[in-house]
Amino acid sequence: MELIDQLFVLLKQAILKTSESFLPPVFLPFLSILISITAIALFAPLTMMYLTWLERKVIARMQNRFGPNRVGIYGLLQPIADGIKMLTKEDVVPLGADRVVHFLAPVAVVVPSLLLFSVLPFGRGMTAVNLDIGLLFFIAVSSIGTLAIFMGGWASRNKFSLLGAMRALAQMISYEVPLVLSVVPVVMMTGTLSTQKIVEAQAGWRGFHWYLFTPWGVVGFLIFFICSVSEVNRTPFDIPEGESEIVAGFHTEYSGMKFALFYMAEFLGAFAYSALGATLFLGGWQGPLLPSWLWFGLKTFFLVFVMIWLRGTFPRLRVDQLMSYAWKFLLPMALVNILAAGIWHYLSFPLSLIVSASVLLIGFIALSRLAPTGTRLEKRVYRYAE
Amino acid sequence: MLFFYLLATLTVLGALGATLMKNLIHCALCLILFFLGIATFYILLGAEFIAAVQILIYVGAVATLVLFAIMLTQNVVGETTLKGLGQNRWWALGLTAAVIGILGSAIHHQRFSAASYAGRLTTQEIGQALVVVYALPFEVVSLLLTGAMIGAIVIAMEDRKKKQ
Amino acid sequence: MNTIPLTHFLMLAAVLFAIGLYGVLVRKNVVIVLMGIEIMMNSANLNFIAFSKFYSASRVTGQIFTLFGITIAAAEVAVGLALVIAIFRQAKTVEVQEIDTLKG
Repeated sequence: MELIDQLFVLLKQAILKTSESFLPPVFLPFLSILISITAIALFAPLTMMYLTWLERKVIARMQNRFGPNRVGIYGLLQPIADGIKMLTKEDVVPLGADRVVHFLAPVAVVVPSLLLFSVLPFGRGMTAVNLDIGLLFFIAVSSIGTLAIFMGGWASRNKFSLLGAMRALAQMISYEVPLVLSVVPVVMMTGTLSTQKIVEAQAGWRGFHWYLFTPWGVVGFLIFFICSVSEVNRTPFDIPEGESEIVAGFHTEYSGMKFALFYMAEFLGAFAYSALGATLFLGGWQGPLLPSWLWFGLKTFFLVFVMIWLRGTFPRLRVDQLMSYAWKFLLPMALVNILAAGIWHYLSFPLSLIVSASVLLIGFIALSRLAPTGTRLEKRVYRYAE
Repeated sequence: MLFFYLLATLTVLGALGATLMKNLIHCALCLILFFLGIATFYILLGAEFIAAVQILIYVGAVATLVLFAIMLTQNVVGETTLKGLGQNRWWALGLTAAVIGILGSAIHHQRFSAASYAGRLTTQEIGQALVVVYALPFEVVSLLLTGAMIGAIVIAMEDRKKKQ
Repeated sequence: MNTIPLTHFLMLAAVLFAIGLYGVLVRKNVVIVLMGIEIMMNSANLNFIAFSKFYSASRVTGQIFTLFGITIAAAEVAVGLALVIAIFRQAKTVEVQEIDTLKG
């Protein structure tokens, strides 16, 4: 059991030991990091390909039809066919477009999405780079991706792209604030920003120490999940891509491999944010019987499945509804959540549970009554042509 | 050592691009390169927390603001008009060279002690210092930020009454 | 990385400061002038961090100062850009020479 749990760690140590004999010792740290990077670079695109497959199958079943099922058994070779198609498409650059920025934008979107994988704890002792400030690094790097989307929209010299890019930028920066605030109680309770230590702090007592099972944890997780769905531009927040609205938003003018890179960045972001949600609130790789990396994979894929489920269920939010939701509801709710977390920490059970849960409920009810999100419905006035 | 020169070259190129380029969006993108270069220097100097904060605030927020300001004050689609360099560029060049000269000579003539702290400063020490020793500046800065936020929104808001 | 002497960092900060100064003095567009100011503030922050590693009494002072510096610079650039947008609405231009209604 120990062997399977630490399979990847032991594999890496074996590779390092065998290369110790013929490499000078100055190269060993580089080789160690190189192995982690290679593992992520192989794992991430493969995951992304099969996430696209999963999404198409699940949404198809929700819409009462089969998904792709011709290319292999159950359509399992479909992502490979998609990859070949995208690689062989002609790369069209618009005439008046800014060539340098147009070329750099897909690269600048994918690189932060891949960097996010380096601080995720994939299993017991399997964080690629165990930073002391892991969580802050995650949030900081994901805010670079928002700029790259703007670059993509600007460089296409197309009014629809620019509109999509500005809306994407506004949406992503306004949802970053409740995202960071909803993570603050977790940091408060654990006392560290390192993702590995946050997972280790949720150990014990058959999973009841997960942060999900505390009042501030539930609200924090919900806010985090909603904000992460918005950060990766998925429905119901996919105004920037708006597949039925503004052609294809900021990636209208991209074809072939560049579009594949944008697409890849979106799915990698979805996976990374789900993994972070599983780490912070659902207890990371903690779990009874199965190996740790399998638990991590199961929790992450469950959250990705919920994201796909949301896509198949909800209609798109309008841009002003989106923004008022973030600023007038989620942000005050996240602040009330921090207050409730503080109360929970300083009182003792069961008073802590009652008081913090009631603070959260009062906050929620007050915000949903008071915050005037959206226009009031008025009586319709008909005007006839006279 | 090679690392330092490489990163220094990138950072200086970013700063030069931000001040000299003709296309405004290219200026803003070189500014982003500059901010990232400074963040890597912070990591070299053992200040990881400040590096992450730098990326989060400068690249994530300030660069976005600058891009929005460029967009809102120019022709949005089409040629970004070249705002060229002014006539007094030789005076400015001379002044710049003088500044580098003065600062450089001050640095090289100073005898710095060889003390250097190995290792990194943990986030906990920074947090401790912020709320124990520097609590008053912390509160004042939060008031400043609130005031700046409200002020910026009020200044940039359109005049609703004029539209009628 | 302890082999890089302090003077290298200080020279780099001085060069960056000078580049920012050149940008402030020479460019016509107000937004680029604000960008130059940001470059200057960043080079000053680099100085602080360099000194906090090499030469300070309490280890944490330089980094706290830098944290406050980053915060204040962000607040300043926000208000500055809001002013630029308001001026653009009024004067329909963002060139530094054209905005001279207060001139005597």
